Amino acid sequence: MPRPGFVLEVDERTPPLLVNEGEGFRLQSFPLGSRVVYSPDPLPGIRDVNAAIRHALLHPHGMDPLPELLTAGMKLTIAFDDISIPLPQMVQPDIRQRIIEHVVEMAASKGVTDLKLVVANALHRRMTADEIKRAVGERVFRSFWPNDLGNFDAEDKENLEFVGTTDQGEEVEISKRAAESDLIVYVNVNLVAMDGGDKSVPIGLAGYRSLRHHHNVHTMLHSRSYMDPRPGHSAIHDSARRMGDVLRSNDIKIFNIETTLNSETFPKELDFLNKREWEWSLKDQALMLGARKANEMAPPRIRREVFRRIEAPYKITGINAGATLEVHERTLAKLHEQQLVEVEGQSDVVVFGLPYVCPYNVNSIMNPILVHCLGLGYLFNMYRNKPLVRPGGAVIMFHPVPWEFHQIHHPSYIDFFEEVLAETTDPSTIESKFEQRYAEDPWYIHLYRNSYAYHGVHPFYMWYWGAHGRDYAGDVIVVGGDRRTCERMGYRVAGTFRDALEMASDTVGRSPSITYFHAPPLAIADVR
Amino acid sequence: MAIQLELYRSAPRYLAERALSGRVPGVVTSPVAPLRLATAKDPNVPGPGWAPVKPLLSGICGSDLGTISGKASFYFSALVSLPFVLGHEIVGELQEDCDDLPAGARVVIEPVLSCLARGEDPPCPNCAVGHRGRCDRVTVGHVSAGLQTGYCKDTGGGWSRSLVAHRSQLHAVPDELPDESAVLIEPLACAIHTALRARVQPNDDVLVVGAGTVGALVTYALRELTPAGRIIVVAKYAKQRELAARMGASEVIGPKEATNAVRRSSHTMKLTPERGAAFLLGGVDVAIECAGSAGGLDTALRTTKAGGRVVLSAIPATGVDLTPVWFRELEVLGAYTGGVETIEGEQRGTFDLALDLAQRAPLEGVVGARYPLRRWREAIDHALAAGKLGTSKVVFEPNA
Amino acid sequence: MTSFRDELSDLAKGFRWGRRPLTPADAQAHTPERTAWEFPTAWARTKAGVDARETILDFLMRPLLWSQTSPVVHGTDNLDGLQGPVLFVSNHSSHLDATLIMTTLPSRWKRRTAVGAAKDYFFDVWWRQAFTALVYGGFPIDRTGGGKGTATARDLIEEGWSIVVFPEGARSPDGWMQRFRHGTARMAIEFDVPIVPIGIRGAYQAMPKGRFWPKPGRPPISVRYGRPIAPQPGESHQDLSRRMVQAVALLHDEDRSSWWDALHRAEHGETPSLTGPQGPRWVRNWESSRPLPRRKRTTWR
Repeated sequence: MPRPGFVLEVDERTPPLLVNEGEGFRLQSFPLGSRVVYSPDPLPGIRDVNAAIRHALLHPHGMDPLPELLTAGMKLTIAFDDISIPLPQMVQPDIRQRIIEHVVEMAASKGVTDLKLVVANALHRRMTADEIKRAVGERVFRSFWPNDLGNFDAEDKENLEFVGTTDQGEEVEISKRAAESDLIVYVNVNLVAMDGGDKSVPIGLAGYRSLRHHHNVHTMLHSRSYMDPRPGHSAIHDSARRMGDVLRSNDIKIFNIETTLNSETFPKELDFLNKREWEWSLKDQALMLGARKANEMAPPRIRREVFRRIEAPYKITGINAGATLEVHERTLAKLHEQQLVEVEGQSDVVVFGLPYVCPYNVNSIMNPILVHCLGLGYLFNMYRNKPLVRPGGAVIMFHPVPWEFHQIHHPSYIDFFEEVLAETTDPSTIESKFEQRYAEDPWYIHLYRNSYAYHGVHPFYMWYWGAHGRDYAGDVIVVGGDRRTCERMGYRVAGTFRDALEMASDTVGRSPSITYFHAPPLAIADVR
Repeated sequence: MAIQLELYRSAPRYLAERALSGRVPGVVTSPVAPLRLATAKDPNVPGPGWAPVKPLLSGICGSDLGTISGKASFYFSALVSLPFVLGHEIVGELQEDCDDLPAGARVVIEPVLSCLARGEDPPCPNCAVGHRGRCDRVTVGHVSAGLQTGYCKDTGGGWSRSLVAHRSQLHAVPDELPDESAVLIEPLACAIHTALRARVQPNDDVLVVGAGTVGALVTYALRELTPAGRIIVVAKYAKQRELAARMGASEVIGPKEATNAVRRSSHTMKLTPERGAAFLLGGVDVAIECAGSAGGLDTALRTTKAGGRVVLSAIPATGVDLTPVWFRELEVLGAYTGGVETIEGEQRGTFDLALDLAQRAPLEGVVGARYPLRRWREAIDHALAAGKLGTSKVVFEPNA
Repeated sequence: MTSFRDELSDLAKGFRWGRRPLTPADAQAHTPERTAWEFPTAWARTKAGVDARETILDFLMRPLLWSQTSPVVHGTDNLDGLQGPVLFVSNHSSHLDATLIMTTLPSRWKRRTAVGAAKDYFFDVWWRQAFTALVYGGFPIDRTGGGKGTATARDLIEEGWSIVVFPEGARSPDGWMQRFRHGTARMAIEFDVPIVPIGIRGAYQAMPKGRFWPKPGRPPISVRYGRPIAPQPGESHQDLSRRMVQAVALLHDEDRSSWWDALHRAEHGETPSLTGPQGPRWVRNWESSRPLPRRKRTTWR
């Protein structure tokens, strides 16, 4: 029986705690009485994954078994989540590969010939051939690449189809191939509660025309939180669900396969990152110190390479298939079992150690805008009911925030940082003044379609992602951050944690209550 | 079969402990310690009036730690019988009927193995008047030498699954008193004895040096049972300060500020000798040393006014400059365990007083950690640094 | 940027180096107990360990023991043709017992036999652990009871190792045999392995509890191996334990008198009990400490 997550109150017996800071980590002592949120221990994985997949496909929820939906001569599209999940990339075989192989096997035996596989990357960068191969496996790749397996292109106007509008006037436009298919099989990996459900097809296979209705400042400010997709809690999920309803009413048939992972985030060699500090053996301590020192001394390129190569030994905890809503309900239940931690009340200060990877810099560089998104967008939103920090409280993050961008993956980010943020950090102003221009800039569109660049509008979404957190917190202080980059983003910079608390004392007083969100492994704080 | 944590005779271990425990902190809980978790037969009932007791909680006391780390005075060596099981702060469950007490009763043990327990009849003059702590026969009689349960090889001690106790040692615990409070009755009795030994006069200034469990309980006893005026408590760690304040201290200060604080409150002169700590000409009326350290006793001696009283509640450390005792004509007196107290002309057993007081004392949270016997190394290590680790009392749960 | 030294000292302080790691109060309920480090003994049962043990037993322990006492050994022929693993079961009154058995076992058995040793005594400090493991192939048995106590023993039997067990659980305080604990019988029934009874006489007189070296004058000791007892189908562990006690008592009787007489007495249920005479302690001690008569060693007996 894995241990549940819990909240530790730091006492005199508590050792210093591990805090992530980008491509590195440190041990940090916390003031007595600080609370620390620990995620539950990894759930046991499914032993026979193949059997579980077969069972899920043959006993779906709210739909007929998959083989019965497959007929010769039909148009079948398999869409799957892109490289942004899971984080870090999981050890091979990727769960997407396993599922796709089963689906293809069934399709082949039923005589399906018109089969296409597409990465549901929306406005994310295209995945490289190698990355796709890694996700779907060599067998699938060799059979379908490049004609029948590829990235979705949200700027290929001819291959988008307008499906309809929701009762709130939101336009729904998705991949033409998908819309015309007799069946879409969507293969999802649910790492956080935000993923999956109606976020899969209506968002993953949609273009800018559709996305702008929910990926905007207004919606983001009213999503509390993104990790709480219950109706009424998250405007973005409400919007996605309305779009899903439009698809359903237009008889677009989606067979959704969702999977959940446990929290075994780090490989054996970095086991101390999975453990709770007071359970560290001397070996763990030495390993930590050694890893930290080696990491500090290594040249940045090598350091990045080492981190890039981390593969998570995630185990599969659940596979559900069938109608989107029914499946997603079960997926969330399993996810909550792995991630939910009850926390009593809010605190004045919340502390995040930002890890080296977020969904948008896999095999890439975490640029300052992604730091913003990871801290105030993702980690800040890992809650249910209410944030860990009280309104107007301070958010303290650990990250070096270097002024560094990936030239190929994030070209629009560079301009966003240099032009837009130099002028204002206010999301609404940014949205009204710059978004349209960036979204329609032909150069960015060209790079998105032909190179491996995120769409021109993507940095805006990243900035909006953090809008609620930024708006909610009174103060954002980055420990160890680069002064110039932080200043541009409107953060304050502290040299040490003590300094950060000192700076925060303006807003939260001299002896604030502190909560440290100890992640990864990820948790969702259910704040009562 | 009982599992017990026993201290056995081993000269090399003892010497190693004595030499190293001050320098290498971990050595007290290392395999070098003359301490072992042994499987042994339950102790035999040595005579009439004795009964087996199953300890529920059993405290780790400063004197236990001194014994283990080889720091205790050799004076004690003649008062104990090896190998013995430590532990004399015990709340337990009576296993068999013992005179008027039924089996199953929850009891605390008054640890002194006095004439009554030893079957010495007639008792020694001290026991005859109820001063059991001063018993002269602690080495003879029905059981082997041992000043208290927890130092005698025949009775067993608190750090085991089972021990035997004499009816005269047993006090029934009221049902409403939780175990974690009951285990503090023995130290509370010592504290009461200390507070009353100090003969505090109305509005006397009292200095309590040390705010571990004993210091805190002495503070409480002073507040509740004596007409003390200001009570200044010297406490080193944050949690100790909180506790001392809760127990009724007028002022809580750090060890370094102690002399200045006493000087301020007593409006006296402070002198600084060429070597050694500053001292006062004047100071508190009564100082009570509860830290068991040389520094603590030194502070007490140097801040007590001429003709004042210094009470040794903890086992005194050696190597303290006694000049102030002579020059200031201090009255130095010891306070060891208890027996019978006289309050407002009425005689009452120290333990009875403690049982009364425990029911209204703010004892929640004083027991800061519980360990099963098998984790004894952790427990003792924790107890050795209890103050620093924000804990007052560490206890064993031998039957957990 | 903190220096390496600062970090090291923070680590040392935070994790209490040199002392015991402690669990934060809040985390107590969520932290499994640290499993006590168990001294590894498997190395002592590798080929190299076995070779070393045989050498030590044959060239160090045996000469040493034979120079200090005069042991006589009988009945090792009962082991001929027997298939391992078996449980060697003996009365236990001296630290010499294990050495006596290990030095007198035929080589074939010696190389595949390990001695169960009390975890709380033989496995408390590293040097005693190492000695026990190396010289006796010792492995820990937890005397506090419960199924876990014999876990290692079970593993060993499954691997085909024979085991020396003293079912009394501890050396006798007065030389007389104590009650046999049932763990041994339970194991024999569970794995259906034969039990070889061993009667050791004179070890108590040579080196009773409390002594660390045999008494001067090469006191005589006798070690007798008996016929193997196999657990009968459906036999309860109590019955098997009883048969074990009888077998050991028979060996003692045989040693005291003769095989023929002892068999007769056994037939009539008159084998003298090894639990000693009833009565005051001095009587028991007096009887048990009576020296064994010195015998002339005869080659043909």
